Amino acid sequence: MTTPLEVPGSIEAAPEAVPDGARGPIAGRSLGRIAWMRLRRDRVAIGGAVLILVFVLIAVAAPLIVELLGHPPNEFHQDLVDPDLQIPQGRFGGVGRDFLLGLEPVNGRDLFSRVVYGSRISLLIAFMATLLSVVIGTTLGVIAGYVGGRSDTFISRTMDVFLAFPLLVFAIALAGVVPDHAFGLSGDTLRIALLVFIIGFFNWPYIGRIIRGQTLSLREREFVDAARSLGARTPYILLREVLPNLVAPILVYFTLLIPSNILFEAALSFLGVGVRPPTPTWGGMLSDATHWYQVDPWFMLVPGLAIFVTVLAFNLFGDGLRDALDPRAR
Amino acid sequence: MKAPDVGWSPVSRPGPPDVTAAVVVAYLVRRIIGAVFLMVIVSMVTFAIFFLVPRLGGATADDLASRYVGKSAGPEQIHQMAVKLGFTKPLYEQYGDFASSVVRGADYDTGSGIEHCPAPCLGYSFITQNPVGPELLNRVPVTLSLAVGAAVIWVTFGVSTGVISALRKGSVFDRTAMSVALAGVSLPIFFTGLLSLSVLSYGLHLFPPGSSYTPITENPVQWAYDLTLPWITLAFLYAAGYARLTRSGMLETMNEDYIRTARAKGLPERTVVIKHGLRATLTPILTIFGLDLGLLLGGAVLTESTYSLNGIGKYAIDAITTNDLPKVLGVTLLAATFIVVANLAVDLLYAVVDPRVRLS
Amino acid sequence: MRHKRTAVGAAGAATLAVILAACGGSGGGTSGGSSGSSASGSSAGGSSGKAEFNAAVGKVYNASDAKGGTLRFANSGDWDSLDPADTYYAYSWDFVRLFGRSLVMFASAPGKDGAKLVPDLAESLGAPSDGGKTWTYKLRKGVKFEDGTVVTSKDVKYAVERSLDKDTFPNGPTYFNDSLDLQGYTSPYKDTSADKLALKAIDTPDDNTIVFHLKAPFSGFDYFAQLPSTIPVPRAKDTGTKYKEHVVATGPYMFETNNPGKDFSLVRNPNWDPATDPNRKALPDKITVQLNVNAEDIDNRLLAGDLDVDIAGTGVQPATQPRILADAAKKANADSALVARLWYTAVNGDVAPLDNIHCRKAVQYAADKTGYQRAYGGTTGGEIATNLMPPVISGAEQFDDYNAKASPSGDLEKAKSELQQCGQPNGFATNISYRAERPKEKAVAESLQQSLAKVGIKLTVKPYPTGDYFKLYAGKPAFAKANGLGLMVSGWGADWPDGYGFLEQIVDSRVIHAAGNTNLTVKDPAVDALIDKALGTTDTAAREKTWVDIDKKVMDDAFILPGVWAKGLLYRPPTLTNVFVTDGFQMYDYLALGVKK
Repeated sequence: MTTPLEVPGSIEAAPEAVPDGARGPIAGRSLGRIAWMRLRRDRVAIGGAVLILVFVLIAVAAPLIVELLGHPPNEFHQDLVDPDLQIPQGRFGGVGRDFLLGLEPVNGRDLFSRVVYGSRISLLIAFMATLLSVVIGTTLGVIAGYVGGRSDTFISRTMDVFLAFPLLVFAIALAGVVPDHAFGLSGDTLRIALLVFIIGFFNWPYIGRIIRGQTLSLREREFVDAARSLGARTPYILLREVLPNLVAPILVYFTLLIPSNILFEAALSFLGVGVRPPTPTWGGMLSDATHWYQVDPWFMLVPGLAIFVTVLAFNLFGDGLRDALDPRAR
Repeated sequence: MKAPDVGWSPVSRPGPPDVTAAVVVAYLVRRIIGAVFLMVIVSMVTFAIFFLVPRLGGATADDLASRYVGKSAGPEQIHQMAVKLGFTKPLYEQYGDFASSVVRGADYDTGSGIEHCPAPCLGYSFITQNPVGPELLNRVPVTLSLAVGAAVIWVTFGVSTGVISALRKGSVFDRTAMSVALAGVSLPIFFTGLLSLSVLSYGLHLFPPGSSYTPITENPVQWAYDLTLPWITLAFLYAAGYARLTRSGMLETMNEDYIRTARAKGLPERTVVIKHGLRATLTPILTIFGLDLGLLLGGAVLTESTYSLNGIGKYAIDAITTNDLPKVLGVTLLAATFIVVANLAVDLLYAVVDPRVRLS
Repeated sequence: MRHKRTAVGAAGAATLAVILAACGGSGGGTSGGSSGSSASGSSAGGSSGKAEFNAAVGKVYNASDAKGGTLRFANSGDWDSLDPADTYYAYSWDFVRLFGRSLVMFASAPGKDGAKLVPDLAESLGAPSDGGKTWTYKLRKGVKFEDGTVVTSKDVKYAVERSLDKDTFPNGPTYFNDSLDLQGYTSPYKDTSADKLALKAIDTPDDNTIVFHLKAPFSGFDYFAQLPSTIPVPRAKDTGTKYKEHVVATGPYMFETNNPGKDFSLVRNPNWDPATDPNRKALPDKITVQLNVNAEDIDNRLLAGDLDVDIAGTGVQPATQPRILADAAKKANADSALVARLWYTAVNGDVAPLDNIHCRKAVQYAADKTGYQRAYGGTTGGEIATNLMPPVISGAEQFDDYNAKASPSGDLEKAKSELQQCGQPNGFATNISYRAERPKEKAVAESLQQSLAKVGIKLTVKPYPTGDYFKLYAGKPAFAKANGLGLMVSGWGADWPDGYGFLEQIVDSRVIHAAGNTNLTVKDPAVDALIDKALGTTDTAAREKTWVDIDKKVMDDAFILPGVWAKGLLYRPPTLTNVFVTDGFQMYDYLALGVKK
């Protein structure tokens, strides 16, 4: 597997789904309402949205939740770990009242707290990176599509280059060589910023291509022509006429890129170039679990399922959103 | 002038293609130039990652070299190593040396004599001092086996599931398949890999443990058996995506006017679906398939590291963790080559499959 | 000795596991019982055939003379180099004896006997003269290379010469570079003389005699003579960095195939004459080695019988330990070997108030030793160390100056009284550093943080990147001082199990450079003087006594807080014959192994 973008369905499905949804300024007005009505009827998508909300709340309130239900994420409980076997005492990796999801082998850290804190890293990085890709992708896509000519050639070629990069290898290399103190940052802040940059920066061409295509077709449309003939300046046209019509694809893409970026971050952490220990990350926990899955499979299931459920929730919602914006897909 | 000798000239398509040999050659030349340009950029970026980034972080040539000397090396020895590896030269010169070694080959001092490494020389590992090229070629069969095997499975299952789902939209099959597919695209491969190893390999002893690989030339049956689990894991993820894509593509296509026309003409449903519906659906999927396969051949990093297969992806990871730049450069160039070639192949095929597309 | 370099693994946790294994700290052990007597215990040299825990410790298990079969090894990383001049792993030094013969070698014998040096290519151990400055060896007659050429002393000299070239062979040890009277000689590759043998520090008066001239007396030169660098290399076949692809064999096996980074195999060397070699049984017909196999998979294959030996010899992975220890049948096929490695914390006299010996002693008393042990995996990971030299070191003695045995969780009264004498009755604040990617060291730092706080010593933990820990941080005195690193978590393994091999690099103040040090804090002229005394003592018993004195002196200075003497849990599949742990390498003796057909 190479990049998280090998989730082809979630990303590649977006473009063909959207064009009709974004048709015409008049329909655009009511589109939101129509879409919302459709979305409301889609119980699966709403389920996804609720789950997302819950995860976001958990991430935001992590310190509070851990205070109430867990132990500090980096606190050791070696007395609860079998001194010879190094695995948690009790069944299911030590699941119990005190430790809701059990303990880590060796050090006996609270898995519940670590998963809860891990959600912060996952969601934060995925969200910021997605935002970065979407901002870069939209800006350059619109410029390429609207201005055309040399700018288009240049931007399009750049996108081709990016798409031909062995992404994951580059991401690992880059995340691996940056020292622990750089660019005036250090510790977790540096790692998070770095991961946001890497994940976000390498992903922009995907949305860039879609936006460029959309803009190309919008440019030829009557209402844009009309605005132009009325003497509107380019920035005005871009902001007032073109961009509003791109909201639907951007929104869908945004929702579907987040889960893909969660997987990307998890992959980088799994490969040991994510946020540094002891800060808990889901990928990092899974990576630790690789050594233990035969004797303590619980340790692997906890972060694995956390990733799965979160990504699934975003995909469910994203699918629903796309369907709501594009009546023909379902 | 028609070009009947072009091997990939379509047979079953209505109307002969409007492709001449000159057009094809010009197209190929342009694409190859583009590919070379791309390689240069890829290698430059890799170079920059390993030398420019640490330099910006304040590392000196000797700091960089200190990674490649043995235990208890004094400062002079570290400096000698920095000189030997060329770290003391300006960055552009270092890159120039590398580029020239790819184009013209390079000489390497083995201590006892000078060894010439012919172009395209990918250099010698900073750490093991082995030439990178042969090592890399050694890894290709593993990744090739993994990627191609998985691709066969995922295309077969993904596309057929998608088609059936689309044709029986709303059925139990459709719903089940799409739920599984949605789960499939939501699972990280290193988790499914661990899970399947845990259950199928160590739990039920159905499959060999990780890091099992037998070359196909040695024993094809064992080869397939050893790779079954990695194939399934990898294919599951992709099949899920392809099923979703195929289904939505198929649904869209079957709504098109020309399908209705075909039906109205009284063509058998089978013909409508296969000849018209499927073809239009498969065209965009082919593009994605080309990209996916190209990317995978450049190293199935996560699968290889989960199953501990010594393919290109694991080579890349090992090279990165040991800061062995020549190896990383070799891997990225190879990976980029695969991607470029796959892209080119897809574009050519595209022209064959889709009559609307012309080489331009 | 490095059991493994840090950077070999795949990524992430895989790397981590290798790093941990690297230091032998992943070791296993017993859940009670005779753990203490493990490798250092009985060295009766007997033999046993019953599968039981520790059956291959101190005695031969499944003794056999049956030849034949294929012995299968696997390595979780890549080999640093198969070139005898360029290798620095314990397992590698154990293994190269299969295809190469150095002047002297560790005896192929169980337990303590395996730490004794015996002549190999030489007829007898080295004969010192000039007060230990000149060492002479006579070569056995009739030893041949795999191509049938007779081995001469010039081939040995050439081999040592090329090992001096650290540009070409950066991985190997530098003992010859440091000890021989080089007079500016750097490398035979830069040697302009016709025979490339211009090095004056080594004489070859005839084809069977080789004489080494040292800069200073060194009583333990036989340990240098056992280094793989003295395995003869025929100059005509030397291809520099490429020689590792096909090392010309002098031992019972020679290379059949070699795919760098992947695998290689050895087959019988037709020109090896058992009559010239009293040390080797050479039981298997063929030896195969797979490289870059996942550490966990190696364990699984061992347990499944698909593999005979994990070549790293550092013990099974932490996660495999429970599977072995909790299963009586598997446990009967396991051995817990004490390793020549100490996990310790350096106490920095450059940082006030630790410049005061009483403050350093307060740390010694207050530290929770069981917490330290728990960080390394409890009794499985090793024994509580009361002083520096691990019990497997020849001549090592255990003594307990700081009541580690009597009050393993810290002697707070004594600690407080030391603080009083130091003038810091209410304690003080300082920093403790550790390698960020090592959870065990982190656990040590946190355990010390807790236990020292009980007497008012407040520690702030400072993680630094593992790869640069010694080059840029803890091992750089200026950095450590400027950043107030009062305590530095570390670990050390012996290059060979004698006082010099273990202690020299961590207590001799004269090996401290500007950066990249392994001696982090021990600066005591009295210790240096004792080291010189040991180096000049040719009598083994007296020399070993001096190393114990050095150990005592360093403990008395309280520059080092000993933590754990590491152990490794080794697994021997029932397919193996003639298995035993040798104290020479603290792992199975690869020379002796055979397989059931």
